[in-house]
Amino acid sequence: MKKLIIVTIIISIFVGLGTAAAAAEEVNLYTNRHYDTDEEILNRFTEETGIEVNVLKGDSDQLIERIAREGKNSPADVLITADAGRLHRAKERDILQSVSTETLTQNVPANLRDEDNYWYGLTIRGRVIVYSKDRVDPEDLAGYGDLTSDQWQDKILVRSSENIYNQSLLASLVSIYGEEWAEDWAAGIVDNMARKPQGNDRAQATAVAAGEGDLAIMNTYYLGKMINSDNPAEVEVAENVGIHFPDGENGTHINVSGAGVVKNAPNKDNAVKLLEYLSSALAQKFFASANYEYPVNPEVEASELLQSWGDFETQNINLTELGIHNQTAVRIFNRVGWQ
Amino acid sequence: MQLLKKLKKASPGWFLLTVGIIILLLIPNLNIIINLFGEAGENWEHVRNYLLVNYFQNSLILVLATGLLAAFLGAGLAWVIAAYNFPGRDFLSWGLILPLAIPPYIGAYVYQGMFSYTGPLQTFLRNKFQLRLSQQYFDFMNIRGAIFIYTIFLFPYVFLMTRAFLSKQSASLLESSRLLGKSDNTIFFKIILPLSRGAVVAGSSLVMMEVLNDYGVVKYFGISTFTTAIFKSWFGMGDLPTSVRLAVMAMLVIFVVLFIEKLLRGGRKYSYSTSNIRPVSRRKLEGSRKVLAQLFTYGVFFFGFLLPTVQLLYWSFLSRGGGLMETLHFAFTSFLTGGGAAVLILTGAVIIATTARMSSNFVSNLLARITILGYSIPGAVIAVGVLLFMLQLDGVLSFLQTGFGIEANVVLSSTLVMLIFAYAVRFMGIAFNSVNSGYEKIGESYFEASRTLGKGVTETFFKIDLPMLKPALMSGFLLVFIEIMKELPLTMILRPFNFDTLATKAFEYASDEMIYRAADLSLVLIFFSAAAIYLITHHRRRKK
Repeated sequence: MKKLIIVTIIISIFVGLGTAAAAAEEVNLYTNRHYDTDEEILNRFTEETGIEVNVLKGDSDQLIERIAREGKNSPADVLITADAGRLHRAKERDILQSVSTETLTQNVPANLRDEDNYWYGLTIRGRVIVYSKDRVDPEDLAGYGDLTSDQWQDKILVRSSENIYNQSLLASLVSIYGEEWAEDWAAGIVDNMARKPQGNDRAQATAVAAGEGDLAIMNTYYLGKMINSDNPAEVEVAENVGIHFPDGENGTHINVSGAGVVKNAPNKDNAVKLLEYLSSALAQKFFASANYEYPVNPEVEASELLQSWGDFETQNINLTELGIHNQTAVRIFNRVGWQ
Repeated sequence: MQLLKKLKKASPGWFLLTVGIIILLLIPNLNIIINLFGEAGENWEHVRNYLLVNYFQNSLILVLATGLLAAFLGAGLAWVIAAYNFPGRDFLSWGLILPLAIPPYIGAYVYQGMFSYTGPLQTFLRNKFQLRLSQQYFDFMNIRGAIFIYTIFLFPYVFLMTRAFLSKQSASLLESSRLLGKSDNTIFFKIILPLSRGAVVAGSSLVMMEVLNDYGVVKYFGISTFTTAIFKSWFGMGDLPTSVRLAVMAMLVIFVVLFIEKLLRGGRKYSYSTSNIRPVSRRKLEGSRKVLAQLFTYGVFFFGFLLPTVQLLYWSFLSRGGGLMETLHFAFTSFLTGGGAAVLILTGAVIIATTARMSSNFVSNLLARITILGYSIPGAVIAVGVLLFMLQLDGVLSFLQTGFGIEANVVLSSTLVMLIFAYAVRFMGIAFNSVNSGYEKIGESYFEASRTLGKGVTETFFKIDLPMLKPALMSGFLLVFIEIMKELPLTMILRPFNFDTLATKAFEYASDEMIYRAADLSLVLIFFSAAAIYLITHHRRRKK
């Protein structure tokens, strides 16, 4: 009996290995997203086009490393990952290729895609200031630059600089104001921190509600998640904080999660079709709202929740800049001791 | 005598197989280590100037503190369980191994979730008593919190090894000391602790390696250690040479710690063995001492297993069993992969151990060292070593296929073969140790008898050794199975398309702070590992 079980296990593993190969029309997707709605969107894509989608989920940086190591034998066709800084890194590592079609150009605005068309943004998130409704008058808030003022001494909550969202925020400031200004700014934030950076964006909002600090720097979609949380205590936290979109001299820092066609994509045509589909008005609504994000496609409206937060001005830069200044940003963080 | 030596020599077949497996295990490691001799990466200078001191401090504090605490906790518990009788003792003798079923990263999410501002404890205090306490009392996400998490979920390594040692070795010594009127405290500190030092150190060095290689907890708590630095410089900066340098320095930390221990011990050897193996006669505890022993043992069990499990059950209840079919599907994948890989790894380990047994001491020691190598290197580093090797292999394969005009187009690097091979590189040492200790228990006389009676090495193996090895194989299989169920970095980096295990899926949800969705998956994972632990302990017990 025991032998039988063991033999069955071994056989089924090898059968499992064999099935990975066969399929007529397919596209291989490496993605960092793991939302249930994605599955639905991809199923619909398969229904409409007859193209099977094979999905490999993983951590963004590790997926990029894997594609780079797989080299010209990589089965990857499309890479989806969050943050323009990271997409730029993928481009620099020479694992993406430039594609350009009329549909893509129409669906994705110029500042939200790579300047050489190596990647296209698919969803937008803003990095905003979240404040305590009890203790902060939103009239006192302006742009990112004002966060270093003495008024916010020991009041600011923000996560670790290892996080790419912070790196991209600082990279955008390097791009707009120059390295020196950005370094002073980062040092000023470190001075004003309420505690050492810890936890993720959600933990910063919670800390505001708990009274550890008054302001948190965080991405918009985390607030959407908290409002829709299963945990009533978390919903309460979200209700006790307000969103301020940084304005003043330059607007709110936005970033994208986006996709590119892999350099040696074995199914390039299908890959382009998938990109076009994901940026189309039809898919955008669901693709963006799955993670409480803004759609890139100008024809599609944001979800009601996001609309209730109001309109805002965005930083006036091409997102490619975030990648170009990433290394500078990382080094600034290390120099000023932003953990 | 000469004849016997010759009879004990390995046959060429066994030897060649072993050499083959060892080479396979070594190549991925070499692929990485070779990077050490190249030029330093472009970021090395920057890392060294601004970050290295911090990594070193944090890693050293974590490793030393956890190693020490786990040693005391594990040894103390082992002593109480081995020497005393009190209500619940039989259950706790295996119940105290159960914390091992909970991966530290899941433990970290659960504890943080429990104590956070939005967690059940603080919500309860706020709503029922209008109590708003300063957050610093609940702050878990720091080095102290990490030390607690590692200690409470990893101490069973020390407990297991020390308990096994005590139950075998100490009966007569313990009884003599008691007869001579020594107090139990004196016996513990003067006799038991020095005597079982080897077992305690072995267990706690396993704990230290786990701590140094762990990624999930320190990443979540935002503590910079060598492991996070390896990930950061490799995946964040794309700088392999720098991360290999860091990996080698991390291993140096372990060596320094082990060396200091050896130094402290000096030349003295604490070993005591007797052919007279019998269980310790346990002293029955009464009154306050009974209560104390129960508080201690049940307390550890409560924090290491019961509390986190109950919390997960509650969350699972809140999310109302979010996708039962989905959970079952991942459970099936984990179970098959873990079981299948463990069988293959055990087979390899048996081949190596059988050869080691028939070889000189030097060779068998060398084999033991090589097999454990994969366990002491961070998982992510092994992952890329394996990926590089598989890609090289694919190159050779496609060359052969075009050469012979075969159209099969076999590609290993996008299949489960790669992942299972990586598991083998990482966990071969664990399997080898189990098989080897099984061989040590059997002794050599049966083998020698069979050989002098004219049976071949292979026939002897199948007819004599294998049946007798069964208990060791069983516990080796289950140990490897548990490790694979909990494994994260290798699976995350090397898995094929459309492949999720309980561990990867739970980590995805948890790192997205969807701890409610992660609860079901974690519970199934814990259930499997706990069942495996139950089987190991009760299989052994029946044998006695």
